[in-house]
Amino acid sequence: MESQIKHIHQQLVTKQITCTALVQEKLALLKENTHHSVNSLLDEMALTLAKKVDAKIANGEEIGLLEGIPFGIKDVYMVQGTYTTASSNILKNYKSAYTATAIQKLLDAGAIPLVKENCDSFGHGSSSENTIFGAVKNAIDTNLVAGGSSGGSAVNVAKDYTVFSIGGDTGGSIRQPAGYNNIYGLKPTYGRISRFGLMAYASSTDCVGPLAKSIEDIRIVLNVMSGKDTKDQTTIASTEIDEEAISNNTVKTVGYFKNFIDNKAIDPKIKADFLATIEKIKAKGIAIKALDFFDSETLVSTYYTLAMAETASNLSRLDGTNYGSRIEGENLKDTYSITRSENFSEESKRRIVGGNQVLSQGFSDEIYLKGLNLRDQISANFEKDFEEVDIILSPVTPNTPPKIGDSLKDPLAMYLSDAYTVGFSLGQLPTLTVPQGTATGLQITAAKNNEQTILQFANFLKDTI
Amino acid sequence: MSKIMTVDILSSIKGAQPSETVNKLFDVIKNAPLTNNNSLNNVNYNCLSINDLRDDIVIESSDLEKQIIIENFPKQKKGYLVVSQVIED
Repeated sequence: MESQIKHIHQQLVTKQITCTALVQEKLALLKENTHHSVNSLLDEMALTLAKKVDAKIANGEEIGLLEGIPFGIKDVYMVQGTYTTASSNILKNYKSAYTATAIQKLLDAGAIPLVKENCDSFGHGSSSENTIFGAVKNAIDTNLVAGGSSGGSAVNVAKDYTVFSIGGDTGGSIRQPAGYNNIYGLKPTYGRISRFGLMAYASSTDCVGPLAKSIEDIRIVLNVMSGKDTKDQTTIASTEIDEEAISNNTVKTVGYFKNFIDNKAIDPKIKADFLATIEKIKAKGIAIKALDFFDSETLVSTYYTLAMAETASNLSRLDGTNYGSRIEGENLKDTYSITRSENFSEESKRRIVGGNQVLSQGFSDEIYLKGLNLRDQISANFEKDFEEVDIILSPVTPNTPPKIGDSLKDPLAMYLSDAYTVGFSLGQLPTLTVPQGTATGLQITAAKNNEQTILQFANFLKDTI
Repeated sequence: MSKIMTVDILSSIKGAQPSETVNKLFDVIKNAPLTNNNSLNNVNYNCLSINDLRDDIVIESSDLEKQIIIENFPKQKKGYLVVSQVIED
C-alpha cells in the first residue's frame, strides 16, 4: 500500500478535503467503538487542532507532511490533561500531568491525536483481554483476539480509524498485534525513541514504536520520534532514514532460526508458508543461512523472569497514596494492600508476585542473576549471527490468533505464544512485522540501529512475495 | 533482618500466592546451562557517559501540571491533600 500520510497530505494541500471533515469522520468511526479499541476520545483537542490546520491552508501557508494527520495513542502514554489509564482499574481516573517526549514530537510536527487506545493493562498480556474496557476484537475476524498488548492500536490502524498509531513493545506488543491484524508494526532499537512519559512495564526492554499500513508511513513516523532526550538517559543518537536509502535492497544474506521452524508447537501452515517465502528469497539470488538459537522455553522464561522483576519494581509506586484509586484500610499498610488487591487484574498480580519472588533473598541468585546471564548469552548469540547475516527473518507467532476468552484460561500457553518475539526484545534489536509471508506476517530483524536495512528489505519483500 | 517476608507482604497484595504457571518458568531458568562468565551485562551497554548527564537544575512545573497533580491526588479535605494514617512497627 502507498503512504497514507502522503496521500492525505496531498488531499489537504489541494483542498480536496478539509482537516476538520477528516477528523470528524475518523472520530465518528471511533465513537462507535465496534472493536473495543477506544478507551477515550480526544475529540475537543483534535477538532481545535484541525481548525488551525484548515486556517493555515486557507491562508495559503505551507503545511508539514504530518500536519493534520490523525493518529492514535496506546493508553500508556502521557498526553497532558488527558486520561491515561493503562487500561487498569487503579488508574481509571488518572490524568496526565505532562506529555511524553515521543508524542510531543508528533504534536510539534502537527499530527492530530484522536484517541487513547485500549491495550492489556500495563502491557501485561498478549491478547488485549486484560483490560477494564472490554476485550479488543480482531480487525479481520471479530471472534478472535486483536493480539497485545497494543491491540487497540493495531485494530484502529487496520480499520482505518487512525492513519497510524503509537504502540509500546516490551516483548512483542507492537509486532504481534500488527501480525494478527495484517499491518506493519516496528519495534525500534532500544533507546532510539525516548521512553519519557511511557508508563514503565519492563524498563530494560520497553520500546516506543509506530503501527501503520505502509513501510513509508513507518519511516516517516520513526524519523520524527527518534533522537536523544535528556529526560530518558538510555536514548541513543540515530540518523534520519531517507526515502531513497530504502528503495534498493542491499541485503545479501538472510538468516533464520532452524529451531523456530522445526518446533512441534508451530502451526503446519505457518511453517510451510515461511519455508515457501525462504525459497522465493533464495530464487532472487539472496543467500540463506539456517542459524542455531535458544529453545522457545528458555527465551520465554528468561524474558518473563526479567520482565516480572522489573514490573514488580515499577508498579510498586501504585499504592493509592499519591495517585491511583485509593481504598482506605485500617492503617497505611492495610490501605496499600487493599488498594492493590482490589485494583490490579489477576494477570498483573501474577506478574507482580512473580517479580517479587524473583527479587527476594534466596531466589535472586538462582533465578534473577541467572536470567541476566542467559540474556547476555542470547545477546552474544545475536552479535555472532550478525557477523554472518544481514538480517534475520522469522514468523511473528507460532499460531494464528486464538478465540476471545481462550488466552485467559491458559496463561502459560499465552506466554509461550510470545516465543518468536521476546528474544529480539532481550537483544534490544530493531524488528519490523510485515503483513506478508504467513497468516500472522513475518519479522525482519537487523543489528542494533540498523532500521534502514530492515525497511529496505521490507520494500524488497513487498515486491518479491 | 532475618524476618521472613511472604510474597503477599512483599507485593502488598492481600492473599497473594506464588503461581504454578510462573514457577514453571522459574524451573526452566534454574535448569538452564550457565556460561563460565560471571560478569553480567557484557553485551547491552546502557550506561551513559558522564558528559551526557543532564544539568543538575530544578525545573519549575507549569501551573497546569501542578493543578493536574493535585487533581490526581486520591483524597482532599479542606484544601489539604490527605494521606492514610501512618503506623510504625
